[in-house]
Amino acid sequence: MSAHASVAARGGARRASPWRALHASIFARGLGPALPAVAYLVVFLVVPLALLFSFAFLSVERGVVQPGTFSLAHFAEALGDLLFWKVAWRSFWVGVVATLLCLLLGYPLAYLYTQWGDLGRRLLLIAVVAPLLTSAIVRTYAWMVILGGRYGLMNSLLIDLGLITRPLRILNTDLAVIIGMTQIHLPFMVLPLIAALAARDPDQEDASLSLGASRVETFWRVTVPQSIPGITAGCAIVFALSYTNFIIPQLLGGGNYATLALQVYEFVIVILDWTKGAVRASLLLGSCFVFVFVITWAGNRAMAWSEKRAS
Amino acid sequence: MTRRRRRMPRSPSDLVGGAVLYVLAGIALLGLVGPSLVVIAISFTEKRYISFPPEGFTLTWYRAILDHQQLLDSAVVSARISLVVMVVCLALGLPAAFSLVRGRYPGRSALGAFLVAPQMMPGMVIGVAILFFGAYFAFRQSELMVIIALAVFCLPFVVRVIMARLTGIDPTLEEASSNLGASRSQTFARITLPQLLPGVLAGAAFALIEAFDNVTVSLFTASPRARPLAVELYQLIQFDSSPIVAAISALEILLALVVVLVLARTIGLEGLRD
Repeated sequence: MSAHASVAARGGARRASPWRALHASIFARGLGPALPAVAYLVVFLVVPLALLFSFAFLSVERGVVQPGTFSLAHFAEALGDLLFWKVAWRSFWVGVVATLLCLLLGYPLAYLYTQWGDLGRRLLLIAVVAPLLTSAIVRTYAWMVILGGRYGLMNSLLIDLGLITRPLRILNTDLAVIIGMTQIHLPFMVLPLIAALAARDPDQEDASLSLGASRVETFWRVTVPQSIPGITAGCAIVFALSYTNFIIPQLLGGGNYATLALQVYEFVIVILDWTKGAVRASLLLGSCFVFVFVITWAGNRAMAWSEKRAS
Repeated sequence: MTRRRRRMPRSPSDLVGGAVLYVLAGIALLGLVGPSLVVIAISFTEKRYISFPPEGFTLTWYRAILDHQQLLDSAVVSARISLVVMVVCLALGLPAAFSLVRGRYPGRSALGAFLVAPQMMPGMVIGVAILFFGAYFAFRQSELMVIIALAVFCLPFVVRVIMARLTGIDPTLEEASSNLGASRSQTFARITLPQLLPGVLAGAAFALIEAFDNVTVSLFTASPRARPLAVELYQLIQFDSSPIVAAISALEILLALVVVLVLARTIGLEGLRD
């Protein structure tokens, strides 16, 4: 892209009609190459999502929309159902606990990454990224093996240690789902935290230490505030993933375990009631965006507050 | 942060704080690595059901995979799907990344946000939406539908990784090349592409692995007759308790480890941090 062309294009756009401006954007300013990808996402993401939402308002039988059946009754039915709220509440609090546990375990790991030498960093990064590239099914299966049954690793270990005498039932409980979600989503917390912590200014910590603050004080008052963007990004992604995951609750929660995401799966694939599935999928997606927005907003507020306090 | 930290006398609360830090990091590392090791250990057991600690040493379960025609077929389906998804994502993502980094048009950042938006979208919602889309246009669950849906899901990874690499490339080299009389295609092939290659490879590897491993999208879009390996495994895990699943899992873990080590050696994992 030569400077002349873009200056000329800019000058041309000022007096041109919107249509000519678009033409200039595509041919002279490099919008063109992005168009295939944009078109692909419009056709295969925007249109399908629009259909998904519209299915929630219409009666659908085996994929055939029944014309003239627009109604809000399906939403009202879901929102008036006590079971729906119970299930949604469980999706929410399990997601929150998994997110907080990821933060609790991921932060020390990311912090130590910035303290370690080259070899330690490389090994730690491999330990974080390798699970990310291993299928979620395989990793959930590993937890089924560890937590499951009388002969599972956890029960054998606890009995051998003499902590319990009879095997505990861990699989098919909230605890199993939370453990699985925490481990499977941990890399998504650690990576943004590492990025944020590696970008922090080490002079501030040195200054704090040489002014007589303890390491613990320095950690809370200097290190943590600088990493708020990483905490926000990590929490947003881990919550979104945990809140909408249905594989982990299905495999670790057992047959009667219900979350919002699992209900979508059941209505769409098992019961074939697509309208109810569409209602729940729309509510799941909508509420997920709201929660992610709240997390991001809170993160920005925390950042502004800590900057104000510092100055 | 290579600078050496000043040694300060440590108070008792600092010692406790340090201990807590190491204990939590230790639990996290154990949680990340441990389960994979357990699965690998189980895959060699001589027992017919899953138990810990494993007893004896046998390769029976690995041999059993070779006799399990359904699994082998689904692995072929998955390989085919993920290769096509990778090609589609590169074909769409590489030009798009160029446009987003080098373009000079209004609304560029909004467009970038739109192109990476599917990443914030639950896989399941993409799967359901494409399933409904197919039903509406009388288009059945099939390999093609899985490919279409997975390409939506994987495109953001490819665009982001290539964009990150492209942003780091110094454009003066390209300007020098064209000033010295090279054509645009020559400049692209000789100057831009070699610098960009690590990003392209990382994006391709991510798309390939995501597409191969994905179950949330595939479960909704795959036809029951040609199921991808991940969907097949998902069913198998729920109804089969023999260590054959552990053997397959061990192979997948090994594959992931190989990819990570290759990525670490060639382009470094630092670029994937965010």
